[in-house]
Amino acid sequence: MKRKKLYLWCIGWAVTAAFMAPLSVAAAESCMDCHGDVDAVGAELAIDPLRFDHTAHADLGCSGCHAVGQDHPDDGLSPSRAACGDCHQDISDEYALSEHAAGATCGDCHNPHAAHNTGAVSGMDMNRQCAACHASDEMATAHGVWLPQAELHLEMLPCVSCHTGSENYVINLFITKRPADPASGVPARGEPFNLVTHEELREITGDKDIAALIDANGTGTISISELRRFNGSSEYPGLRLKGMLTPESVTHNVQILDNRWDCTFCHASGGETMQTSYLSLPQPDGSYRRMSVEKGAILDVLNGTPDFYMMGATRNASMNLLGLVIIAGGLVMPVGHGFLRFLTRKNRR
Amino acid sequence: MTEHSEHANNSRIYLQPTPVRIWHWLNAIGIITLGISGAQIRFPEYVNLFGAYKSAILLHNAAGILVAASFSLWFFYYTCIARRMTALYVPNKEELQHGLLRQAIFYFFNYFRGKPNPHHPTPENKFNPLQKSAYLAIMFVLVPLVSLTGILLMNIAPLRELVLLMGGLKVLVGLHFLLACALCAFLFSHVYLATLGRTPMAYIKPMWTGWEEIEELHGEEGALKH
Repeated sequence: MKRKKLYLWCIGWAVTAAFMAPLSVAAAESCMDCHGDVDAVGAELAIDPLRFDHTAHADLGCSGCHAVGQDHPDDGLSPSRAACGDCHQDISDEYALSEHAAGATCGDCHNPHAAHNTGAVSGMDMNRQCAACHASDEMATAHGVWLPQAELHLEMLPCVSCHTGSENYVINLFITKRPADPASGVPARGEPFNLVTHEELREITGDKDIAALIDANGTGTISISELRRFNGSSEYPGLRLKGMLTPESVTHNVQILDNRWDCTFCHASGGETMQTSYLSLPQPDGSYRRMSVEKGAILDVLNGTPDFYMMGATRNASMNLLGLVIIAGGLVMPVGHGFLRFLTRKNRR
Repeated sequence: MTEHSEHANNSRIYLQPTPVRIWHWLNAIGIITLGISGAQIRFPEYVNLFGAYKSAILLHNAAGILVAASFSLWFFYYTCIARRMTALYVPNKEELQHGLLRQAIFYFFNYFRGKPNPHHPTPENKFNPLQKSAYLAIMFVLVPLVSLTGILLMNIAPLRELVLLMGGLKVLVGLHFLLACALCAFLFSHVYLATLGRTPMAYIKPMWTGWEEIEELHGEEGALKH
């Protein structure tokens, strides 16, 4: 019965939205006259129009979630807020059952005015939300009790990879940049690599699409040779690709899953996981656009993804073969010499 | 009285001092453990001798530290205490010009004909020219490099600058893996060559007791001459 009501509500909303969309957008524009200006309403009530316009929520318009009186803002009343569960009922129900629900509301982790799909959010941005409550150094210490190279794991994985039931992992490659030394202008050694912004890439590519930085032939997909060229090039000093293992869809049953204690959950080869990767390019609104990368790029021997390697999972087949040849070379002496030794044993009696 | 005569009696010679033997067997245990745990780390679907993957990693790290410490012990002993590093491990001019070929001819030709080994080990000159050259490459190139790459791989986050300097994580992993394979290849040849004495244990026993039987050695060579 509850589900039937939800369907009816959705259909009703869709029909209304279709007819009212132009009005909603117009209304949103009106709201943004004030709320798009931080000086007018203050940082707490300000909304970045660029970021909001590219969210799914923008299609609803401000009135989709908020209702204000005719005298707003002079009436001094706070606008009403829709509950997230009104639309995201399944997620809300799932989240309510998790331990995390007692500690944080939806809005503590998600900004509805800058919400994007999982694939359009960087792993670092995901973790930034978690770090707002779970301090990174404390988490490194807590994980370090049992997890080898905890600091590295926390840096290379979104927390939700292990702490939700998310599945279907892929590897996302992000462009990072090391700040230049002000005096010399060259990338400052020792400085951390940070995610590069759309504007920073624009400065490099000029009028061209920023994808041209790696997608040299403009096919819309990234080949292994294009990755090698980018990684081996000295044309872009300070830029490096950082890979992160991210889930394709994030669940909200925040918990500690038993199978994540087993390292081979990630550190074992097989399946499509390590074959599928994307290049995530920053967009002006802070989200990311993904471009498909040729299958197997992560397994490339050296220059495909020079900084991304997962023990046991992304080993290179050619390297395995070369290692086998070397080991077999070590058996030549015992086997070959031993055989002749056996045949000539009478000579040494 | 020479050091040789100090360490020799009528039938045997003290060839392997205690620190060297400790180093050798620590190395042996460490390297075998590294090989097996390393195989599980790289091929977890096929090798599972230590149970959980994490156990293999922790064991691999511990064995790596053991071998690196053992290497330091060896280096310190021969350089600072015994002061025989160069004499023992660096082939001299004569050995490079003639000794290498002489020893190779013995191993690959004269040995099968029952001819004697042209090299007679003494505490001052334990290794034949081929051994010297091999150990020089192993101990001064292979082991230090595999240890250094291993130390970097154990500490990727804190030593990131060095990792980047080496060309990235994959270069480091590839180098570590291939060097480890080379060490594994050496191990097979090393164990086999250790059985080339008069009896299969004749060269292995001294590495446990320190003493090598001279008469047996000469007896073997005498027998080989006939």
